[in-house]
Amino acid sequence: MQDLKLKANENRGLHQLESGKDLYGWDEVTQGSVLPSFEGDASKIAHLKAEERDYSNYNSYTATVASWRVKKPVFNIDVCIDCQNCWVWCPDSSILSRDKQMLGIDYDHCKGCEVCVEVCPTNPKSLLMFGENEDLETALSQWPEKKKKEK
Amino acid sequence: MAVKYDLNEREVWDGNFAASQALRQAQVDVVVAYPITPSTPIVENYGSYVANGYIDGEFVMVESEHAAMSGCIGASAAGGRVSTATSSQGFALMAEVLYQASGMRLPIVLNVVNRALASPLNVRGDHADMYLGRDSGWIQMGAFNAQEAYDLALCAFKIAENHDVRLPVMVHQDGFITSHTAQNVYPMTDEAAINFVGEIDPVDDMLDFSRPVTYGAQTEEDWHFEHKAKQHKALMDSRPIIDEVYEEFAKLTGRKYNRVESYNMEDAEVVIVGLGTTVETARVAAEQLREEEGIKAGVVAIRCFRPFPFEDVRDALEGAKAVAVTDRSSPGGAMGAFFNEVSAALYTTESRPLVTNFIYGLGGRDFSIDEAKRIFKEQKAHADAGHITTDIQQFSGLRGPHLGYFQTKRG
Amino acid sequence: MTEIRWHSRAGQGAVSGAKGLGDVVATTGKEVQAFALYGSAKRGAALRAYNRISDEQIFNHAKFMYPDFVLVIDPALAMTDDITMNDKESTKYIITSHLSKEELIAAIPALADKADRVYVVDCIEISLDTIGRSMPNSPMLGAFVKISGMFELDYFLENMKRVLSKFPQKIIDANMEAITRAYNEVK
Repeated sequence: MQDLKLKANENRGLHQLESGKDLYGWDEVTQGSVLPSFEGDASKIAHLKAEERDYSNYNSYTATVASWRVKKPVFNIDVCIDCQNCWVWCPDSSILSRDKQMLGIDYDHCKGCEVCVEVCPTNPKSLLMFGENEDLETALSQWPEKKKKEK
Repeated sequence: MAVKYDLNEREVWDGNFAASQALRQAQVDVVVAYPITPSTPIVENYGSYVANGYIDGEFVMVESEHAAMSGCIGASAAGGRVSTATSSQGFALMAEVLYQASGMRLPIVLNVVNRALASPLNVRGDHADMYLGRDSGWIQMGAFNAQEAYDLALCAFKIAENHDVRLPVMVHQDGFITSHTAQNVYPMTDEAAINFVGEIDPVDDMLDFSRPVTYGAQTEEDWHFEHKAKQHKALMDSRPIIDEVYEEFAKLTGRKYNRVESYNMEDAEVVIVGLGTTVETARVAAEQLREEEGIKAGVVAIRCFRPFPFEDVRDALEGAKAVAVTDRSSPGGAMGAFFNEVSAALYTTESRPLVTNFIYGLGGRDFSIDEAKRIFKEQKAHADAGHITTDIQQFSGLRGPHLGYFQTKRG
Repeated sequence: MTEIRWHSRAGQGAVSGAKGLGDVVATTGKEVQAFALYGSAKRGAALRAYNRISDEQIFNHAKFMYPDFVLVIDPALAMTDDITMNDKESTKYIITSHLSKEELIAAIPALADKADRVYVVDCIEISLDTIGRSMPNSPMLGAFVKISGMFELDYFLENMKRVLSKFPQKIIDANMEAITRAYNEVK
């Protein structure tokens, strides 16, 4: 079966976007609301994968919107043809893909909008929506069969 | 390597030429412009300095003033020393972007050659455009002659780019009266000028690939207020730094500027408070009145309109008996904005001098020594009576029947 | 303080003349001001240019002045413009005209009681002869140098060469000739 334990960096999706807890005063906001994306020297990170980069707290990489989701997309690697349609259409860059190979979903930034499911061209679809609490194995076990073309 | 520009110790320059020479000497990297009368020669001259090799820079012609300031923002965010010039309608079109520049804390220097706002169309000097920028978060400094347009432009870069300031600065001069009047100007040498201004040390520059940054973030009610408060504090905190830069400039040139200028104020009883060239004309009137009639007349001028020098203006005026605050901008259904600000400062003094408001000089209407004397004498009448004897707001130099508003409840 | 008012038409060079004069005066260590009041900003429209000259820094920025000299470089404007406006008992007039001084004063009643302060020179003809086109500003400067006694002619010529240095030598020479002729011909 597929391995979805991605090497997500520890700082991905650390804080809730709307927690209301991290609000601080005027004396601590950045000058000119200019926001640095990375911690430290970023001059040699172009070749690094996203999860290997040291994103700052101002970068959305370190925030999570997982709680916005009611349903989640589940990815079935056995059906996927790596067409990259979902990667192109996802409005939150939450489809993880490398070397044109679909890897899975970034559940920290996915809001459950279902666009990926909508645009998936395979039969059956390689992405389907399941309840937020459904575990992966149960979801995959319920995957539908290929539909026959109606004549 | 730039070609050497021949300068004399004493030049006869108009305000526009003087400002453009300051841009050359400060070695401005980028000017993005959409030229408009009467400020056109500032950017036109910069363009010719680039074309003729007097400066290594970039002159970018764009399609509107909105685009001009937008281009300046891009170049400044990239880390360059950036300047442009505008007037009147161009300033108005630029207004939206002015707030972007100050909010992003970009040290752009805008030379504003003050001109009236249409309608009716008018190319001459009044302060309508300057007033339009008064809440935009820029530092605003006023030149009263061509020499000062040059001096203050050089100071502007040093103030704007100071890391404890990092705010855009406008240098204002009066359209035609300063911009097109040739006067003796004593420039610094190129070496002295660039040594004074220094090299720009960029902050959060987008061309720094070791530290990628986002400019133009969106903040709603959770963050916007804090950012604007921090920006306001930066503007307020710029006051001592402006003073330091003026001090350093004085050491090099002998020309000392102050955020509030006081002339003959040691014992003055009647005062004209003004902005721009009017200040100097009023100074002549005050001197003549002292000599001819023994009237203790003085002049207080606001060099630095923003941040507004609340304390300094109060200190300068609290010993006076009657003060005429002059607004060279159509007040649009209120007392003149400058009158309101000076009055607010004086309200917090024990002495609370009598303050009246003159709307004058709109569309370039001449302001003569005789008219300044008339205003001084009217202040004398208020002082002698112990209360304001005329309408509080009046028009100076206006044809037709008397136009004035509001009477005092004091005395 | 010496104050000068130029009456001209846009294109005749009064603004350049005023600035050139200011430039030369400044070399003597004096403070100067040169500015103009443009009308409709079209070639041929009447305009006024102004100079102030002083030993001290000039603070007065008003256009209004009581002129010490009135320089009229367009012959028709001498008739139609209010050239005696705000004048003083000592104001001197230098007027471009092909008319003799007597004919000119007869044609302009406002000058009738100022005959001893009116000087005439044909700047148009001089500029046509020397520069090759109607450019009456340079000759007027020559006439002004003579009447004001502010400079020696040679000093003025040397400094005007510097002011005109961006022009070709031929034009500089023609202007020097124009200034010299007007200096000698003004009456």
